[in-house]
Amino acid sequence: MFGYVEPDKPELKIREFDVFRGYYCSLCKTIGKRYGQIPRLSLSYDLTFLYILLDATSAFPLGGRRERCIAHPLKKRFRVFSNIFAEYASDMNVILTYYSLKDKWDDEKSLLGGTGSLALKMAFNKARKLHPEKCSAIEGYLKDLRTLEKNKCDSVDEAAEPFASLMRELFECGHIKDESTRKTLGWMGYNLGRWIYLIDAFDDLSKDIKHKSYNPILCQYDFNGEDVESFKERVRKALNFNLTYSLSEIEKAYSLLDIEKNKGILDNILYSGLIVKTDAILQGRGKNEKESI
Amino acid sequence: MKKNPYKVLGIKEGASYDEIKRAYRELAKKYHPDKYRNNPLADLADEKMREINEAYETLMKNAGGAYQYQQDYDQTYENSNASQGSYSQQYQQQQQQKQQQQSSSQYQYQYQYGYDDEAELERQARMYVNNGNLAEAQRILDKMRNRNASWYYLQGLVFLRRGWYDRGYSSIQKAVNMDPSNFEYRNALNNLNQQRAGYRQNPYYRNTYHQSPDMCNLCVNLWCADTCCECMGGDLIGCC
Repeated sequence: MFGYVEPDKPELKIREFDVFRGYYCSLCKTIGKRYGQIPRLSLSYDLTFLYILLDATSAFPLGGRRERCIAHPLKKRFRVFSNIFAEYASDMNVILTYYSLKDKWDDEKSLLGGTGSLALKMAFNKARKLHPEKCSAIEGYLKDLRTLEKNKCDSVDEAAEPFASLMRELFECGHIKDESTRKTLGWMGYNLGRWIYLIDAFDDLSKDIKHKSYNPILCQYDFNGEDVESFKERVRKALNFNLTYSLSEIEKAYSLLDIEKNKGILDNILYSGLIVKTDAILQGRGKNEKESI
Repeated sequence: MKKNPYKVLGIKEGASYDEIKRAYRELAKKYHPDKYRNNPLADLADEKMREINEAYETLMKNAGGAYQYQQDYDQTYENSNASQGSYSQQYQQQQQQKQQQQSSSQYQYQYQYGYDDEAELERQARMYVNNGNLAEAQRILDKMRNRNASWYYLQGLVFLRRGWYDRGYSSIQKAVNMDPSNFEYRNALNNLNQQRAGYRQNPYYRNTYHQSPDMCNLCVNLWCADTCCECMGGDLIGCC
């Protein structure tokens, strides 16, 4: 997970921001309670979004209180009371982080990947026991992804497929009993996964050119050693279509859900946060570009 | 169980005639079948649309009597949709067409099964695309040798349905290039562009990022105007 799914902060109401952070805290504390302190470091915004979204489709009342925590010992912060969705999101967080760290270790022998995956091993085993099917499905998709990358797949659509399917698996949470809601969530997840994968690929372009590593965008649009900026200029329009269309499909699925609460936060993320991020990265203001400005 | 029509339309109980109409029109736009044309959730959107139509009809009957409602309903849509009829009429027509298409192709399918002719394969592929059976549609498309405009069109639809938008778009673009006079292909391409552009039209984003000039802009503009005037020897704002 790459942490691209964020709210458009300036547009959030202060109350909404508080609730958003409350969910974030709640997820962090749930991980701590279920898996111990070290896995708490793996917390991500994307899973917080999943937690908020899943919780929003249920009629559980929203409750919380102000608490202290290790990361912020001085000031009490609002946290939402956890429920089954917090537990689900925390399990998935551990599973995904473990796989991504392990991947880093296997690929690049990075120290962070090695120690991280070792530290998460126990937690991962516990989470796998709780969700054996999800886990094996995720593992399958990651294997597909690796194969595609090894074969230097030259279609962005095809390359995005495994990660998109992985996200579909994640969003089709077993705690949601209604079949059509689950299907709708799954389609949201699929398109969000596509978006994340593609935006990350675009964001990594300069890095991948420098290190000569695989990037589906470079392969599909025949990068021929030209200047990075002129290459970006060349592919921007096609990617803008691909990304925005994925977002429009997310929006279509979202409007079919019965949202019981947190509508303000979700609207903010889905209508504004994602597109603002897309524009920022397409115009070269992503997190990998900061040094160059 | 029938839902509360006010809740379906997202309005307060006892909302006025105009409010109901406005809410209905907005929702009808939101769940319009055109928007969900290449979407695997089309059936859910249809269901939602039916709910909205029902709720609207119930409320309108209660508000102003059946006669008035009918007249108003037709008027609204004649005005906004210029002779295309109301959404629900359109919707019914589409459903009927779909059923006819399906039944006729099934009929032909039974009769000509085993007759490995390209046109027949194309009909089958189209039927599977309409039913949402993508794996089967892809299998048939792979079997076809004649890669003409309609092949690219169907292939594009299959790509779009499964979420491969880049390939879907370029396939449909290719179909349009090969047969520029075909209305169906052109329509599909326009629809894609509309969907994409439509995402930025949602009120949450539009109201924030496409606002009229704000105070900051105003100051900068004034300053520019002043500078220009000074260049020409005059002065707009005396103090600077």
